[in-house]
Amino acid sequence: MYEIIILIIIIIFTLVSAILALVKTDLLEVAILSGITGVGVALLFQLLLAPDVALTQVIVGGAIIPVFAALAIKKTTRVDDG
Amino acid sequence: MILLDMQLLTLFTAGALIIIGIFAAIYIDNIIKKIIGLSFIEEGVNLFIISLGFNKGGVVPILMPGMNTNWFVTNSAYPLPQALVLTSIVIGASTFAIMLAIVMVLYKKYGSLSTREILKHKSDMGDEQ
Amino acid sequence: MNELIPLIVIIPIIAALLLNLFAGKNKIIKAIAFIVGIGMPILTLITGYGLHYFGGHQPLASSNIAGLPSYITNSTLYNLHPAITYSYTPLAKVFIFALGIVVFLSLLTYLNSENKSSGPFLFMVFMGTASVSALILSDDLFNMYVFFEIAALIQTGIIIASSAKDNYETALKYMILSSIGGPILLLGITILLAICGSVNITDISLAVSTLVQTPISRGVLLFAFSLIFFGWLYASGLPPFHVIKSSVYSKAEPYGACILQAMSLISLIAFVIVIFRIFGDFDLFKGAMILISIIAMVLGVSMAVVQTDFRRMIAYLSVGELGFVGLGFGLGGKFAITAGLFQGVNEMLVTTLLFIGLGSVVYLTNTSDTRKLGGLIGKNTMMAIMILLGGFAMAGVPPFNGFRSKLMIVEAALTSGYPELAVIIVLISIATFIVFVKSFYTIFLKPQPNDLKFVKESIPKSMIFAVAVLLIICLILGLYPGIVTNPISQCIGGLL
Repeated sequence: MYEIIILIIIIIFTLVSAILALVKTDLLEVAILSGITGVGVALLFQLLLAPDVALTQVIVGGAIIPVFAALAIKKTTRVDDG
Repeated sequence: MILLDMQLLTLFTAGALIIIGIFAAIYIDNIIKKIIGLSFIEEGVNLFIISLGFNKGGVVPILMPGMNTNWFVTNSAYPLPQALVLTSIVIGASTFAIMLAIVMVLYKKYGSLSTREILKHKSDMGDEQ
Repeated sequence: MNELIPLIVIIPIIAALLLNLFAGKNKIIKAIAFIVGIGMPILTLITGYGLHYFGGHQPLASSNIAGLPSYITNSTLYNLHPAITYSYTPLAKVFIFALGIVVFLSLLTYLNSENKSSGPFLFMVFMGTASVSALILSDDLFNMYVFFEIAALIQTGIIIASSAKDNYETALKYMILSSIGGPILLLGITILLAICGSVNITDISLAVSTLVQTPISRGVLLFAFSLIFFGWLYASGLPPFHVIKSSVYSKAEPYGACILQAMSLISLIAFVIVIFRIFGDFDLFKGAMILISIIAMVLGVSMAVVQTDFRRMIAYLSVGELGFVGLGFGLGGKFAITAGLFQGVNEMLVTTLLFIGLGSVVYLTNTSDTRKLGGLIGKNTMMAIMILLGGFAMAGVPPFNGFRSKLMIVEAALTSGYPELAVIIVLISIATFIVFVKSFYTIFLKPQPNDLKFVKESIPKSMIFAVAVLLIICLILGLYPGIVTNPISQCIGGLL
């Protein structure tokens, strides 16, 4: 039963940070929130019995994608003025 | 309760991530946010694939010494989707990196990250029909 | 010689990596590009037909292991293909050979018209060749998805490598669409994987043909079909993606555009064959195919009329021509499908001819705006006549190949009881002819404007050579269509 509770907490974290990432105006926060979504998906992979995929996803989704986004933001602009 | 099934919940999450991503791709104006939304679509699809191979109450599909083979075959998760997702994650990351590189070039040209701004410049040329 | 099958994919990849290694050394790059460009068509000719299992993992049923327990031999697992399988058929041979010719000729014009050859551009050309060859060879849906994504990245790269105006905007737009289209295709593949437990196309089509009768799985299959169909539309540039595809063609340099259109044509063929093999029994398949083809033909020609940029005009015309290929599959039956695929080969060669031929105009004047051009027939009469003949081949004037394939499609439409379609095909051909002749007049025959400046004095010989070779091939295929139609119909007969 406690597995389900952990799963629901992770799902809520993942989805909320995904939605927040699209709402925030500070792009650096957006990059960090997308990283949280990536890590959340990786944890879901772990719970779904795919540990090797979780390892890859935690590196790609949790580190590489936010760092790339942050580098691009550093080279461009930090504020979403749209 | 049927809603508390692990596979169903993750399938729901995958669908939600795909919908959030498609929403971002259509409605969000800022290009970097749009691209991050596109990476959510990728993650959603990957989650969908993995949850299809899930086996309730099963084990990780790695055959350890001392395991009974027959028991392992019936109880392990299906490994083929997991092998596919590894490739898919890497493809998603490389697409993401290339899109960011293009955005950095476009920022130098327009001084803005707004999609509308860039498309407006394009239609000024009479290029789009 | 079945061992050579993977080499069709591996050799271009190795060439691409080598070219990157020797970036900056002009002579070595040219030598490698020429050797591989000539070697690839030859390789397709000497390779024997058959299947290649990567890693040697055959299906258990064909590996003849003695003494397997009955719970394995009776299960479906016994017949599944565990490895990535490449199957080299006469059909694949025709298309890869044609691709080899297109790549060789466009490389020839590229290496002769540019002073300095760029390693990254050649890298992308060879990588693209490898990826579309793999698409048409592969018998494994996930493998096709991977190469589909690589092809999308390569197409973006070729646009970026060109010096056209606003190429980065087009590249970004194309990438955004590709990262929606790619995952949707993957989702469709995943649903098939969930139904059948395998990503091998032979296994899937076997499973689907038994499942299609039950109403519950029919709905799921329909969903998978629509997702894969969407991915196919994106990959081939049929509507609603015709605008982005044609702007992709027009933003690349002429020699890049040849490769781009060959790549999207081969991805169209590869995916339509897969969809046909898996979902061919669906009633919806034929209707969707015919509908999308007619929309493509009408939109392609009607949008080509209003273009002032002749590169965009050819791009829209070539999108319109893609509709004929889909129509062959929509009509169904061996003859119609053969006609559609034959039209595919013709379209690839003729569009290459037009892109290279009219690329010479861009080379001379550095503009592709028909309003600023005129009187170019005085520059090189032979080239102008060859371009006109190429346009005739595209519109379907005898004795060229376009006439043969369009006649076959008209015949197929009449015999399968759709005379309306035959009328539409003839009308579209006439419209194509008019559009082409009109822009030919404005570019070559109209009096030359005073402010027209020439950046180069004469057309390089390699361009004339390439166009002449393509024209001769068009003529040969028009006179002896059996060269292409016999192997294709032989292969389609095996699929039906």
